[in-house]
Amino acid sequence: MLILGIETATEQVSVAIGGHEGVLGLFEVCRGRRHAETVTPAIQFLCRQADIELAEISVIAVDVGPGLFTGMRVGLSAAKALAQALRIPMIGMSSLDLLAFPLRHTDRTIAAVIDARKGELFYAFYRPVPGGVQRVLEPQCGRVDDLIADLMARGDDVVCVGDGALRHRDEIHAELRCEFAEQFLSRPSAAPLVQLAHARALREEWVNPWEIQPMYLRLPDAQINWSTRAQGSTDNTGGLAR
Amino acid sequence: MTDHLILRPSGEFAGPVDEHTLVLGIETSCDETAAALVLGGYDVASSVVSTQVDIHAQYGGVVPEIASRAHLDMLNPIIARAIVEAGVPDSRIDAIACTIGPGLIGALLVGVSAAKSLALAWDVPFIGVHHHEAHLYAAFLEDPTLEFPLVVLLVSGGHTMLIEMQDHGRYKLLGRTIDDAAGEAFDKVARFLGLGYPGGPAIDREAVHGNPEAIHFPRAMMHEGLDVSFSGLKTSVMNHVRKHPDVSSEDVAASFQAAVVDVLVTKARRAAQQVGAKGLVLAGGVAANSLLREQFLDACVVDGIHGFLPSREMCTDNAAMIAAAGWHRLRSDGPTSLDCGAFPNLKIPGLT
Repeated sequence: MLILGIETATEQVSVAIGGHEGVLGLFEVCRGRRHAETVTPAIQFLCRQADIELAEISVIAVDVGPGLFTGMRVGLSAAKALAQALRIPMIGMSSLDLLAFPLRHTDRTIAAVIDARKGELFYAFYRPVPGGVQRVLEPQCGRVDDLIADLMARGDDVVCVGDGALRHRDEIHAELRCEFAEQFLSRPSAAPLVQLAHARALREEWVNPWEIQPMYLRLPDAQINWSTRAQGSTDNTGGLAR
Repeated sequence: MTDHLILRPSGEFAGPVDEHTLVLGIETSCDETAAALVLGGYDVASSVVSTQVDIHAQYGGVVPEIASRAHLDMLNPIIARAIVEAGVPDSRIDAIACTIGPGLIGALLVGVSAAKSLALAWDVPFIGVHHHEAHLYAAFLEDPTLEFPLVVLLVSGGHTMLIEMQDHGRYKLLGRTIDDAAGEAFDKVARFLGLGYPGGPAIDREAVHGNPEAIHFPRAMMHEGLDVSFSGLKTSVMNHVRKHPDVSSEDVAASFQAAVVDVLVTKARRAAQQVGAKGLVLAGGVAANSLLREQFLDACVVDGIHGFLPSREMCTDNAAMIAAAGWHRLRSDGPTSLDCGAFPNLKIPGLT
């Protein structure tokens, strides 16, 4: 069973193919925010170099976010159309899960943190378990102060990973002692996406393309302003994934 | 990326483009998610449009992020339905055409990404289509007897242009708005009068019972050239209503609409005369306005020119026109490279 993974939730475009033997091929580029230009030729290139026909793919895995909205939609739209055209099922994974998984051999709490722009961060916490990681804090959207408060509340030893963590490294470091993962691990990759999706695919935990739900975690600005005006409150949690 | 790369043929496509070529068109440039199948560039096998107008109405205009999210949710079922309604297997589709600009970048990217995936998965050519060029082709879908040279009055929420269509892929810009688009003026005046969004149909309805001669609003640049301007008209409407708070909004709507239509029809006639056009075509969302349709057709009869009014479905954004324009582009230029992106300010290819 071969799985094609597509990931465009941050500035990186990442495409991988894998299966029982693990990851067979990985293409990543992280310059210039040219997601739409890159993703289709990347899939074509990867298939050709790995000598795999698209018809051999059984499942399309995709990063559903949270991340940069326009970027993540490029991958989601490309992945959904590919699954629709090939008539194969899909598996959606969170970008934060993909950041945490490569750190599963740590004995610390893992804080996966993605830069959400506009002074905000998307983050979730994980603890290592045999064979993987387990979420101990569901994905959040908040400011760096919120992240620091949530980390302090847990009181564990922490390793931070992600472009959001690196961006606010000094502020986080000033408040609590923690480690930071390597820069090359700071963006979600399609390699762990394919690995994680493979485990799920074995249990047939997949959905149809139109059932894939993006995880935005933040309402469009117009909607935030609208609800503020209408109710005099700042309820911006309505976009949380169900 | 520069514009000239967009229509670069990939060189891998060898098949003939003829009356049997079935093109799947995809359109997501603004607030309509649409897919259609068109045979041979003229024969519409299916055309499915899902409009988001109700979603955006409460904000008084299209909200780009909300539009992009809705496109992502709707596109797969819309494509599936277009294929089912045409009653063909996926394998019958010969090419995928998609709007690559101009439009909202986030919205365009949803369509472009999906279209390229379909082209890759089915191993068929991808064709990037210019949204305005597609509007020009909407007329050919309903009236294949149109002869060149044609003058097209393209009026929508984002654009107001007079284009001479000399041949397939050869266009000349004769005139355009120097400020607001006609549809934009409708939206702004409707909002000011509290008539709701979208403004075009709202003004159209309100004007039915109004007197179009009640107030004489200015017709800017009426006697000079082929460019138009609606900014002053909009201001003049607002000033009039502020000065006369008791004025009937029906009269204001009717008089405003009369001024816009008067200018548009006068300029279109002048353009047609200047280039010796064999036909005069109306296109774009504002082409659904009933007064414009009536006066446009009357003018064509008086001038003895072949006038064409698209059906209301073909005025507004749809994917059948994308597939039609795509068929012509595939024939003249071949496929578009799969590393194509989306271009919010794309110029019409072949426009001088």
